[in-house]
Amino acid sequence: MALLSLQNISKSYTEGSTTVQALKQASLEVAAGELVAIIGPSGSGKSTLLSIAGALLQPTEGTVTINGQDLGNLSPKKLASFRLHELGFILQTSNLIPYLNVLDQLLLVKKMDSRVTKADKAHAKQLLTELGLSDKFKKMPNELSGGERQRVAIARAFMNNSTVILADEPTASLDSKRAFEVVQLLAKEAKERQKAAIMVTHDERMLPLCDHVYRMEDGVLTKEA
Amino acid sequence: MFLAFKELKHAKLRYAMMTAIIVLIAWLVFILSGLGNGLSTLSAATLKNINAEYVVYEETAGATFAKSILSEDIMEDLKKQKDIEDVAAFGASTISVGKTTSKDADDKEDVALIGLEPDAFVMPTVIEGEKLSLSNKKGVVINDTLKKAGYKIGDKLHVSNSNLKVEVIGFVKGETFNHLPAMFAVPETWRSYQYAAPGSDNGLKKPVQAFFLKAPNLEPEKLDKSIDDIETVTKSKAVNGMPGYTAENGTIMMMLAFCIVISAFIIAVFFYVITMQKTQQFGVMKAIGASNGFIARAIVAQVAILSVVGILIGILLTYATALVFPEGMPFNLDPVLVTTYAIVLLIIALLSSIISVRQIVKIDPLTALGRVE
Repeated sequence: MALLSLQNISKSYTEGSTTVQALKQASLEVAAGELVAIIGPSGSGKSTLLSIAGALLQPTEGTVTINGQDLGNLSPKKLASFRLHELGFILQTSNLIPYLNVLDQLLLVKKMDSRVTKADKAHAKQLLTELGLSDKFKKMPNELSGGERQRVAIARAFMNNSTVILADEPTASLDSKRAFEVVQLLAKEAKERQKAAIMVTHDERMLPLCDHVYRMEDGVLTKEA
Repeated sequence: MFLAFKELKHAKLRYAMMTAIIVLIAWLVFILSGLGNGLSTLSAATLKNINAEYVVYEETAGATFAKSILSEDIMEDLKKQKDIEDVAAFGASTISVGKTTSKDADDKEDVALIGLEPDAFVMPTVIEGEKLSLSNKKGVVINDTLKKAGYKIGDKLHVSNSNLKVEVIGFVKGETFNHLPAMFAVPETWRSYQYAAPGSDNGLKKPVQAFFLKAPNLEPEKLDKSIDDIETVTKSKAVNGMPGYTAENGTIMMMLAFCIVISAFIIAVFFYVITMQKTQQFGVMKAIGASNGFIARAIVAQVAILSVVGILIGILLTYATALVFPEGMPFNLDPVLVTTYAIVLLIIALLSSIISVRQIVKIDPLTALGRVE
């Protein structure tokens, strides 16, 4: 069963007197344990699609279903809570909170909801260890390398046991070796934890690590592999 | 609180400077409140201490003692009124006294000579020595601050520009009038100074300046109608009628109000700018799933922590400054007043954080993706 399903999504913006069609009837499904890549040139509508899948933007047409829940039926207030519980975000660089250490970055996600329990702490430590950060728990973001920061962001995305992981250019500022490592870890975590992961990227070298590849061009989404 | 504390610890310099501003403002507010309180005490402590509800003046006096002259005969009429429980005649003059006949200003003290019947209900308690009595008309009780000028019981004092001589028989505490220490005497002694010039008493028998009324249920308009040529006002109006009282208080209150408004703006602007700087960061948090309330609580908690710390340091500094102020300075810290202003400052600070909270609500989590549209 697909954890994330986008059906016939269209999105248009009005810019002055003209209407820009950013997405045209895009459909996409991601099953548990899969990592799906969306590639395409900038301005093609990749980010718009990701924003819609991430409940940050409302589609003009079409339905988004995550873990069986139709997002169209949720109020804006419920959407924040839905994002917190069902979605994990991995964004481009500098998305860590500068004044929190690595462990606190993960615990913050729990704080947003309620109190942090011992089990949460153990879970956070385990995630960080799996991502090769066992000796960095108390480090601040500015003491980490770019690759390490992105790994913290991956751990944070998995912290809440979210159903769907959305990655927006997670390798944008990394050299190819580190980029490869980061995507590998993302694929591995998605598989092991049976989550649905989507990654928007420019980087064609990462595609062999993905289960499916979609290409986006001028708002039209086509499945490649 | 989690985010608030972590960030305060991370950006120590930035928030220490902010706290320093709050400390300085709080310090200034508390010092002003102490000065205001000190001045108004000096100006009208005796009046404020008096346990009376109303004061009766001559109708044309505009509720000032110096302009008012009434005959003590009215006292009998006042006592007959059913709403009035007690009446005390009152008169005050500014005089200058010295232990010798020296004309040198350094050897003299300015005091407020107040004429009161020894058994009047408004007579303050004597803390040392003897009470006034009609049998010793030259006896006076003086405010204990005059001890510092070397006055003691048994001293014979010459009143300047008069042949009147008085003798200190006791001390009272915290009694000042018209910014001067009070000196209480029997009405006859006071009269012999105030109305020494022939004809200055307007031909009235036993003139006084005003009457204090102990009358909780009095209707002043009715009283003014039943007795000719009098005006009855509340005690607080009488206090405001003291020379310079409203002017002094108004100045201090204006400065206090400005301080509080300035603090509101500084705190509001500081946190607004910081919030704007962190738009991207808050966008990320919102994308992850933070509610507006979660982020707003962090900001409000920061404002609260900084304000409470700043205000507490301000209070400590104020009490420390009070220790080094010169003795004669009219500075009087009232813990109730300090607490009130502390709470006002805190509430203003919290209110001013609303602007930042509004800004947070406006942040779109889409900004986290960096390349919207």
